[in-house]
Amino acid sequence: MSTEGIVFEIKRFAVHDGPGIRTTLFLKGCPLRCLWCHNPESISPHPQLAYYAHKCINCGECVSVCPEHAHAISLEKLHYFERRKCRSCGKCETACLGNALQLYGMRMTVQETLNAALEDRDFFGDDGGVTLSGGEPLLQADFCFEILTALKRQAIHTALDTCGQVKWKTMSMILNCTDIFLFDFKAANPQKHHKLTGSDNRQILENLQKLSDAGAEIEIRMPLIPALNDSDEDIHEAGKILSNLHIKSIKILPYHNMARSKYDALGMANKIPASSSQDNVNSLHAVEILRNYGLEIN
Amino acid sequence: MLSEQFKKDRPYLERKFKTQICNPATGLDNETLKSNLIRLTEELNGEPHELIKAKAFRYVCENLVIDVNPQDFFVCFGCWNRYDRPLSFLMSKWEDEVNKNCLKELKTLEEQNASGSSKMWKDFDHSVPDWEAVLSLGFPGLLERVKTYRRKCEADGKMGLDEKAYYEGLEITYAAILKMLDRFHLYALEHSDGNQRVKAVAACLDSLRKGAPSNIFEALQLIYLFFIFGEHIDRFQVRSLGNLDRMLYPYFQHDIAEGRYTEKEIRDFFAYFMMQWASIDNYWGHPFYFGGSKANGETEINDLSYLILDVYDQLDIPTPKLQIKIAANTPVKFIDKALDMIRRGHSSIVFLSENAIRRALLGQGCTEEEARTCVISGCYEFIPQGRGNGTCAGHINMLKPIELLFHNGRDPKTGISCGIKTGELSEFKTFDEFYKAYIQQLEHIIESVLKCANDFEKYLHRINPAQVYSGTIENSLKTAKDAFHNGSVYNISGILNAGFANAVDALMVIKDFVFEKHEVNLAEFRDILQANWQGHEKLRLKILNSKNKFGNGIESVDSFAEGLALFLANKINMRPNSRNGFFAASMHSARQFIELGEKTGASPDGRLAGEEISKNASPVMGMDKNGVTALIKSVTKIDSALFPGDFPLDVMMHPATVQGNEGLNAMRSLLKTYMDKHGIAIHFNIFDANVLLDAQKHPEKYEGLQVRVCGWNVRFNDIAKREQDEYIKRALSIKE
Repeated sequence: MSTEGIVFEIKRFAVHDGPGIRTTLFLKGCPLRCLWCHNPESISPHPQLAYYAHKCINCGECVSVCPEHAHAISLEKLHYFERRKCRSCGKCETACLGNALQLYGMRMTVQETLNAALEDRDFFGDDGGVTLSGGEPLLQADFCFEILTALKRQAIHTALDTCGQVKWKTMSMILNCTDIFLFDFKAANPQKHHKLTGSDNRQILENLQKLSDAGAEIEIRMPLIPALNDSDEDIHEAGKILSNLHIKSIKILPYHNMARSKYDALGMANKIPASSSQDNVNSLHAVEILRNYGLEIN
Repeated sequence: MLSEQFKKDRPYLERKFKTQICNPATGLDNETLKSNLIRLTEELNGEPHELIKAKAFRYVCENLVIDVNPQDFFVCFGCWNRYDRPLSFLMSKWEDEVNKNCLKELKTLEEQNASGSSKMWKDFDHSVPDWEAVLSLGFPGLLERVKTYRRKCEADGKMGLDEKAYYEGLEITYAAILKMLDRFHLYALEHSDGNQRVKAVAACLDSLRKGAPSNIFEALQLIYLFFIFGEHIDRFQVRSLGNLDRMLYPYFQHDIAEGRYTEKEIRDFFAYFMMQWASIDNYWGHPFYFGGSKANGETEINDLSYLILDVYDQLDIPTPKLQIKIAANTPVKFIDKALDMIRRGHSSIVFLSENAIRRALLGQGCTEEEARTCVISGCYEFIPQGRGNGTCAGHINMLKPIELLFHNGRDPKTGISCGIKTGELSEFKTFDEFYKAYIQQLEHIIESVLKCANDFEKYLHRINPAQVYSGTIENSLKTAKDAFHNGSVYNISGILNAGFANAVDALMVIKDFVFEKHEVNLAEFRDILQANWQGHEKLRLKILNSKNKFGNGIESVDSFAEGLALFLANKINMRPNSRNGFFAASMHSARQFIELGEKTGASPDGRLAGEEISKNASPVMGMDKNGVTALIKSVTKIDSALFPGDFPLDVMMHPATVQGNEGLNAMRSLLKTYMDKHGIAIHFNIFDANVLLDAQKHPEKYEGLQVRVCGWNVRFNDIAKREQDEYIKRALSIKE
């Protein structure tokens, strides 16, 4: 229970991360670099400070508490943040009066994480529970394993939201203590997958096949990104692969580009595509194609 | 679907209660009617008020202009304007007389109200007739029952002057009602001009003037007629149209089985029926309710519940408003339909837990049967059917004691010394000493409110004898006592409050910032609040960002809140009132979260002077930062049975959270968990700040947009910008 992990958000009353009312734990670190990533704060395995310039009221509290002198406020009341100096200690986040500074990533023990995850136990009912998400939660495999095991010992329903890009042994370790896998599916074609996420999908498809063979409950999550992975060909290829597996259901995740301000706040460049009013129509079309493969769509 | 005919008639229905549309040849114009009434009542001066009011009521029934319109199924009364009702003058006159000649605590009352420590008034707005009696007896049967009890009183040798006035007032009133039905009937016959609908209305009226209703149309017409006689003429708000699905189901089954009406026709009746209240457009909304359990444990939800709910959904109107009594047996399908309406913005709906109500009512000495069959009235109040009457006697400002404490018992804005002297600020060395002084100030307000309420509630029946209402209440008839005053079995006076969460947060801030971190001392704090935080914005932000706020599932804060709630409830519940009943604490705030807020200076929790204070059992707007589950945890830490007046919670969520099947399931699970934890009432605002902001800029695009206030809905376009801004502020703090 003393194993530590880095958690960047604990979302209570999560209703779209598996069945029922859930608490979702977002773990830091991701092996993929998806072009459209809407959780850029999840990519790095280390804690990171985000600075939301539009919220800054120039109160100067951060300047007085920062041990690294990473913050400065000019005479013209302009806030300067030198990211390279920041050690992500979080002192300025606590002091900030405008809620402009936010530290993504807190070090927590398994026990602390469990306590937080079980705050809402009364609300889980028969179908709700706890979801581990990220980033890729299995980059912190021991931490996940201990949490999931402890939850199962208390008969709490568990879900793992994974991109699948981990060694099979890492995934097989948590198989017995995971009730449902929320498995991302970004592209069927290996070259395309590489182009979109920085890695091919060999390991991912192998893991998916093995989970399916093991009889695990799997919900596929397909983010549809305009012009990147939403062509008829893309969807047909996905349908062919998925229809040969034991999949409980598929959930289409329509694209939104609301994460742009987060990239700016984290000092990260973003390549995320624009969204259009056509996106919803494309989702409906994809649903139609997949249904023709006999797949259940949520 | 709504019928084509209804759609054609809808403009008429919307206009019906917004302008005078009756035939002027049928009676006196309103100005003449009113001046004649003044003359008539002056001539009667010296007679008991019951008789004066009954005769005035009769004069209205005989002379009011009327109409039976082919565009409607329901008759039209000339007293269309609820702000200008014909007998209002009488009530005002008698209230002035009582204030001048009878009240001993008037000065205290005026000072309390002026300072905003509390708000009290003589409440005639919460009566619910015994609908079972109304439907089973009809107007003629009700009159006969009055006469029977009068004879019994005479035979028992108990007929004194008061009793005589009581029975005679009722007889005159009910005879006048029957006479007015005759007028309507005759008018319909003479003006039908071959119109089938007017003829049908004439037949309906003919039946109702002779006895009880025999089909669903007659039953609806009777409910409507009773409402207008009670609310618009006798001037008592009828705060529930009843358990419509349960009461009307036998008529529905019978009509369908007999082939009298088709389901389509019945849907039409309900559409026209509900449009009456949509047209009246009472700001507070008019409630009807559904659900609950039968004696055998089965649900009361039936085919008619679904039918009415669907018609209500299609009308998309904020009033009448709907209350749904939920039990373990309530069908999921029904709950889901209501939840789906709410997330689509058809949200004038509140859910109440049958079990939590049961716990609260048993705690007041009610029987299991009384609890099971209780009426939901007002916003969420509940009371034994036909046996209980509950007034809202006073509203306590939970935040005011802090302001008084900072100024040693004096309200700084008005200069009124409405508190007690709890000492100079320098004398408080610990938080416990400060809290003790808060409690002393609070207790002083509570005692003042109960004393004033007992003073003015003695005269409710002198100011406004409740004759239409009393005629339905059997215990009133038995005892010859006014049902709204002391003639019910349970004569309850509710004591509401506003600002509960602000008080908790403010006290937590004093504890943390003054006595623990020593960031500011009490004298400095007083000056900062006096300056409305000017020059201290940093401290204010620090306080607003601090964690110890009610509604976040923080054990230490919630335990503190529970302690405060226990004190409040314990000082109010079961204390005797002056109407042969008792007081009941309520966690409801009505509109006082706005009005008392306006009279309250800046407070230690970071609130600015004059801003809204918290409502109901809910947190301060935007301070529940841990989401809805933490909120429910905090609120249900308080045992709702301690607030038999009622215990409502407001929940606000983003539309994205509740979309899809998952969202609907989550809403249902939330409802269930709240009720498992004995929460009594819960209602939802599902909105997106961007939509509200756009609606503020382009009101024309959002004519139907409703928001839930505090037990009633309003159209967003109809509220003041300041109130709109509060909703936007709140919506901005909701996370998806």
